[in-house]
Amino acid sequence: MVERLPAIRIVATPAALDQLGNAVGGVRLRTAPDELLLIGETRGLPIVADPHAIIFAETGFVGRWIPAGQALEILARTCEWELPVARPAFAQGMVAGLPVRLWLEPERILFITAAPFAVDLEERVR
Amino acid sequence: MTSRSTEEITFEGRAIEIVAGESLLIGLLRAGCQPGGCLCLSGDCPHCLVTVDGVAYVRSCQVMARSGMVVTRQPLGEAPPLPGPLSYQESAAASVRHLFADVVVIGQGRAGQAATVAAREAGREVIALDARQGEEVIGVYPGPLVVVRTAEEMRQIHVRMPGGEIVVATGAAEIPPVAPGNQLAGIVTRRAAEEMLAAGLALGRLALVGRPEKGWGFLAGAGGRIVAGELVRFEGKERVTAVVVRDGEGDENRIACDTVAVDLGRLPRDLLVRMGAGLPIRVVGRAAEPADLPACPQEGVVCHCAGVTVDDLASVVARGFHELELVKRATLAGTGTCQGAACLSHLRRFLAAGAGEKADRAELPLPFTARPVTRQLTMGEAAAGAFHPPTPRTALDEEHRRCGARMERMGGWWRPWNYGDVWDEYEAVRQAVSIGDVSTLGKMIVTGPDALELLERLYPTRVATIRPGRMRYVLLLDDRGYVLDDGMICREDERRFTLTFTSGGATFAELWVRDWAEAFGLDVRIMNITMSVGAINLTGPRAKELLVRAGVPDPPDFLHFQAGVVAGIDCRILRLSFTGEVSYELHHAAADSVALWQRLMELGADLGIRPHGLEALLKLRLEKGHLIVGQETDFDSTPRRLNHEWAVRLDKDDFVGKTALQRTNRIPLNRQLVGLEMDGDAPAEGAVIWHDGQYAGYVTSSTWSPTLGRSVMLGWLNLFDNQLPDLVTIAGRAARRVATPFYDPEGGRARG
Repeated sequence: MVERLPAIRIVATPAALDQLGNAVGGVRLRTAPDELLLIGETRGLPIVADPHAIIFAETGFVGRWIPAGQALEILARTCEWELPVARPAFAQGMVAGLPVRLWLEPERILFITAAPFAVDLEERVR
Repeated sequence: MTSRSTEEITFEGRAIEIVAGESLLIGLLRAGCQPGGCLCLSGDCPHCLVTVDGVAYVRSCQVMARSGMVVTRQPLGEAPPLPGPLSYQESAAASVRHLFADVVVIGQGRAGQAATVAAREAGREVIALDARQGEEVIGVYPGPLVVVRTAEEMRQIHVRMPGGEIVVATGAAEIPPVAPGNQLAGIVTRRAAEEMLAAGLALGRLALVGRPEKGWGFLAGAGGRIVAGELVRFEGKERVTAVVVRDGEGDENRIACDTVAVDLGRLPRDLLVRMGAGLPIRVVGRAAEPADLPACPQEGVVCHCAGVTVDDLASVVARGFHELELVKRATLAGTGTCQGAACLSHLRRFLAAGAGEKADRAELPLPFTARPVTRQLTMGEAAAGAFHPPTPRTALDEEHRRCGARMERMGGWWRPWNYGDVWDEYEAVRQAVSIGDVSTLGKMIVTGPDALELLERLYPTRVATIRPGRMRYVLLLDDRGYVLDDGMICREDERRFTLTFTSGGATFAELWVRDWAEAFGLDVRIMNITMSVGAINLTGPRAKELLVRAGVPDPPDFLHFQAGVVAGIDCRILRLSFTGEVSYELHHAAADSVALWQRLMELGADLGIRPHGLEALLKLRLEKGHLIVGQETDFDSTPRRLNHEWAVRLDKDDFVGKTALQRTNRIPLNRQLVGLEMDGDAPAEGAVIWHDGQYAGYVTSSTWSPTLGRSVMLGWLNLFDNQLPDLVTIAGRAARRVATPFYDPEGGRARG
């Protein structure tokens, strides 16, 4: 099942995001040089060394964990770009025609997309 | 043979037993079903095409027979019947698999195997493809991408770059004969004859025509009669009964036979090479060798796919088509299923020399371009791996459907068009209170030390004069002064703003803002929150009453915004109006949309609340004369043409589009977006506007207005003698040009 993912989205200078470290918890997805998406349980709002940072309590993403073997089989049919070999790893691009972010762990893979594509993700990624 | 297991298939309605493990064509030949034309048994010629289980263009020499196959002939030069719904559904099931490699080797003959080994020894990751193993390459594409068909699935092999390569080791095909009678059954290439004999097929009296460099080998030993001389014609009715050759003296010799095997030389299988111009392709083995030069064709069918004869070639050449690509287009030779594999060498030879003359290899025209695909695909195979662009849904999508909404794709989103009765929805807005889903509007946060400067440079309004907590309607112009989009600027504090855009324009607007921020080198932070923030428009004369009831005792004034908790949901409340009535846009976390919607519906039940869809909204906004970018605007709509000069401050410092506006404003106005009204029903949007019998423009939006008792429109109207006409004709009826807004021109209802 695709579920809404509580998250925190941060836009700040790349240097400030680099300094953030792992202290905040959650899955850290560096979606752009100036943007970070923290998925899951976090230890409160992070303190970012950029006075102009935008820190946004995000409910606009949905996701689904899939066991790695099944996920890789799905991706072999729906993903036209090569996945990273290392684990854990973050990757993003079009999957099944949808803008998807992937968090790849050894045993499972998290498929993330914007909530307006939740139905499409459910239908296409299975 | 009787000890081997068999597969039973149906061919042209009759049952045929085929030895297990043999190709379909060998089985058909064994059953006495031999198609006309020179068979190659290598997948090069177009003569063994059949329809298998409803799938047309199957090369029967390339597929294994399996029990239950239903096979029908596919006559050359005729299109197979269109697939019916059942076969389409079956074919739609094709799946795709994406693979990645440093090197793709196509063909696993000696040269292909050597290339595979060499690449692997060099540490490259190699995918080796072998048509004999059912891996059929149907195209090479930029990427580079190699697309392969197998019995199980389509495969898309992505070649890693830089450094990757495609090695073509597809070998060479045999040159088919062009002579009268070359469409008869019983003519085969040398390799086909060898394969048929090896399969135990009886060839009868076998004539061997041609001058193979290495002799005829075991074909001669198997009783074949070597026929020396130049091929003149084949004789027979449906099947060849004799072949005629001309000897060195010029005399014709007629040799009675049941089968003719021809060896006229080799030509490289270079279809993929001709298809992949510009791609990193290396050709090895016989595919890299020059083609043998056939005799110039004198008579007979050259292109069997398109039914082009030597006479046809002579005819188009006589009409001035001398270039190979032009001859291809004029005759369609080479455009058929084999893409010139059978005819290309003869076409080149014919054009190099002219009929009857000798040609030098250097005079041969270059081969024509080949295009994907190398083989006909089913609809399902062609569509394998393709996904249609998704249409996003707001967080309220399910709620709309639960409420009986008719959903439509509008502005790039699924949106409720109406909930069953558009006029009830309209009346709810005009008379009571209504809610609408406006989550699709583009929304973006811009902040940072240079945020104000960026917006001043982007927008034609004085952003600095917008006070915190206030907002303003704005146009977004391109550098030619044309309107790209519109929306609101909401100022939160000195350096933080929220911008809104149209639903359909939000994606481009984000790129636009980001590009200019980078181009100007400004220090800003930008976050697109369109898909993260839901928005519900609470509108109608009782909207404020409902908002107070929902826990906001002091809602913001017109063109102000504030944070607030509405029915228990954290919101940003924007006070504006698109419908012409008091309106509050409630921006909130998308996850809270359904809860907020349902609570507002409950709280407003006794106020007559009902949701409104886009259909009602379009009517309401038109009564107010509000334009919609994309519907009213064209690619060259300036603020002046849109009658929106009030939204532009040319006396401010430079902004994107200012220079262009200053220049175009000196040009006399030739047309303008105007308001129009007429009695009776509204004409269709797009209706032509006439003035004194001349074309004067067209209607962009129209609706019957129950409130006003007449139809109202926006439309583009030409100026005549520098004047906009007051009276025009639309759909054969009189219409009047009037000022907008049509409804509540003083704005009292919208301001509240």
